[in-house]
Amino acid sequence: MKNISSKIAAVAFLSILIFACKPHVDVPAPSKGSLDLTRFVTIGNSMGAGYADNALYYKAQEVSFPMLIAQQLRKVGGSNFVQPYVSPGSVGIGVNQNARYSLQPSADCSGAISLAPVAIANEGDFNVFTTSIASQGPFNNMSVPGAKATTTLYPGYGNPANGPGNFNPFFTRMASDPTSASILSEAASQNPSFFCLSIGNDDVYSYALSGGAMDVITPSAGSPGFGFDASIDVIAGTLLSNGAKGVIANIPDISALPYFNTIPYNGLVLDAANAAALSAAYAPLGITFQAGPNGFIIEDGNAPGGMRQIQAGEMVLLSTPQDSLKCGGWGSMKPIPNQYVLTAAEITLANNAIVSYNAKLKAVADANGLAFADVNSFMNTVKTGIIYNGVGINASFVAGGAFSLDGVHLTPLGNALLANTFLKAINSKYGASIPMIDATQYKGVAFPNP
Amino acid sequence: MKQVFALLTICAPLLLKAQGFQVNLQGQKQQGMAGTGTAMVQDGASLFFNPGAVSFLKQNSISVGVTPVISHANYSDASSSTVSETNSPVSFPFTTYMVFGKKDSKLKYGLAAYTPFGSTIDWQDGWTGRFALTHLQLATVYIQPTVSYKINDQLGVGAGFVYGIGNVNLQRDMPLVDEDGKYGHATLDGNAHGFGFNAGIYYQPTSNFSIGLNYRSDVKMKLEDGDATFEVPTSMASAFPSGKFSTSLPLPKTVSLGFAYNANKKLTLAFDATMVGWKSFDTLAFDYAQNTPYLADTKSPREYKNTFSYRLGAQYVISEKLAARGGIKYLMTPVQDGYVTPEVPDASHFNYSFGLGYKMNTRLSIDASFTIQQMKRTDTNIETQMSGTYRTNIYMPGISLNYNF
Repeated sequence: MKNISSKIAAVAFLSILIFACKPHVDVPAPSKGSLDLTRFVTIGNSMGAGYADNALYYKAQEVSFPMLIAQQLRKVGGSNFVQPYVSPGSVGIGVNQNARYSLQPSADCSGAISLAPVAIANEGDFNVFTTSIASQGPFNNMSVPGAKATTTLYPGYGNPANGPGNFNPFFTRMASDPTSASILSEAASQNPSFFCLSIGNDDVYSYALSGGAMDVITPSAGSPGFGFDASIDVIAGTLLSNGAKGVIANIPDISALPYFNTIPYNGLVLDAANAAALSAAYAPLGITFQAGPNGFIIEDGNAPGGMRQIQAGEMVLLSTPQDSLKCGGWGSMKPIPNQYVLTAAEITLANNAIVSYNAKLKAVADANGLAFADVNSFMNTVKTGIIYNGVGINASFVAGGAFSLDGVHLTPLGNALLANTFLKAINSKYGASIPMIDATQYKGVAFPNP
Repeated sequence: MKQVFALLTICAPLLLKAQGFQVNLQGQKQQGMAGTGTAMVQDGASLFFNPGAVSFLKQNSISVGVTPVISHANYSDASSSTVSETNSPVSFPFTTYMVFGKKDSKLKYGLAAYTPFGSTIDWQDGWTGRFALTHLQLATVYIQPTVSYKINDQLGVGAGFVYGIGNVNLQRDMPLVDEDGKYGHATLDGNAHGFGFNAGIYYQPTSNFSIGLNYRSDVKMKLEDGDATFEVPTSMASAFPSGKFSTSLPLPKTVSLGFAYNANKKLTLAFDATMVGWKSFDTLAFDYAQNTPYLADTKSPREYKNTFSYRLGAQYVISEKLAARGGIKYLMTPVQDGYVTPEVPDASHFNYSFGLGYKMNTRLSIDASFTIQQMKRTDTNIETQMSGTYRTNIYMPGISLNYNF
């Protein structure tokens, strides 16, 4: 008997050693500093809406960067954060009424099979646009795909009666009254105690993404609803009117996005015979080709013959149909159409606008004592490449892990890192210690198991 | 009540600060005295501590021992404040020492098999450092045939040939995910072997004072034809072909100088100073037989530096049958700031040992020891950019049986 009890004692002793004597943990206590986080509201565009892989869909909304910020705020007493979710099973819908993309093995025009972004359905889920979910609101995340600083002010921005192109169906579905509400009025009616303002990208991106062929860049000057600066003043003034605190983000350079830098300008690789044949064909325009990489031929109304060779620094956009480049003679036998190219002049216009917008956004943050999230600097860091807990992340299309399959919007991993940029700014401005997100828990581009 | 107090003592945050993946667990008598033994003639463990002292052993013996290593580690990520734990694996380094020779002969022979280096760590699923490491099991065994010669009553020399065998299994997740959220996983597994030697001089100028000098050479463990297995989304399988890999792991040389002093018939004090030549571990390189644009050979900097340890031990003979032992050891870490990894979250630290020896009869004796080690290390790794604090508690209860003949 004594033997048994001593055995039990020995087993108990060893069990305690194995299970009990774990090392202590001392992590700093989280704190919200001087913040009131009871009503957190975000105003933004597709970047904040959880739009990714060229569509608004549930899984991407779940990891929108405002949602990820809100999850961290909740650790220091932040409020619930309501988002205008698309139904979980939906294929989503994009600005071209397309379904979301996924990476799939697909054959190109020459029959070669490689992984490429492919829409997962023939068309997007129109129920998203036709079904109002306003009853689920108000929505803390007032980020609306396509919203500009100017259109954030528009009453009736979701009113279908305005006619196609004159209302935003992504807002219609969530607006309490699409005929009269503006994004700003919906946000203001929630009387935010803390806000995140990440707007202005589309004031220049909708121009840049379309190769300068559609839309115009919002001018800095001009009255509210027309000029960028005055529109920002109205938005910030409204959000600040009840003494709210907040964080304001700036706008990343277009060159940081894979959409603008994945296809090399000199991607026309020729052998000597083809170079000679093309040189002969283009002799009247004075364009010559060499064996090896050459600049593509692009459309340019100002050039003789309406076409010219693209120059270093100019951009062929990711939207360019790949089969047309590979087999359709685009960029060689015929020029790449204007909507797929940003010329040097167009890039200068876009860059100048971003510099001007960013100066305004910083000035508003400083003047009102708000936190400032330098998203531009963050995106440039990603472009250079970062290492996060053993994971290499950069701005390469697909392989880089930060950008989703549209080359503009972020992956869950990219959103987590972006949200940390905001959280750092908030912590340092408001003396808070809100924990950062463990970004390793969020994925990059998903690869198929065909 | 007493046990409770003992546990509290063990679990209390002593705020102590191992030494690479060296396993300092050899003879139980020596371990009870904090790993001193270079200048002592206790038992067959001298085959490890100082082959020069083996010729002074009065009896032939065979001993077997094992020390379960129970380790708990955690990692607090600095920015996210998330805490990850290890699954507290237990490893079982063992020792076998055999000494034989004709009675009164100046020449003794020995055979030893022991675990000089090893590490077992297994981090919880999904932990923040899983792209650096999820699992490491490194086990090595040295087999050492030895000859020791007693030049005179004061001086002995000895040397052994070391054949090292080892197995390593290293696993990590890969940041390649499929649509179900399943991440890729890499497993490197293989066997290694290498050669070296262990030589020592034992000098006993008076009956109560002795000096020992021991040199254990480095052993360059070569691993060839290991198996590299990559589980990745099938669309990326050709980018990460499973196949063979090779690597090498330099197990460092160790130089020890020890002193022992018999204060009286009952009390013996011992002091050892040891240098470990960890500087040889500058890079962990993996050479894959089949490279692809995605799967390149890797070279990870380790940049270990040479380190020292200091050990102070005491033995008190309570009765003819019973001896009590205790000791304290300070070990400097070979891992420099910026190079701390989840493989070996090492820090300079003290550890504390105590032990008991009991002679059941003239032939059979039993020895036990208990060693406690606690470490804390805060670092930002240059290669992985992991920034946080590792804490490790290790408990090493050991036991051995010794048979004299």
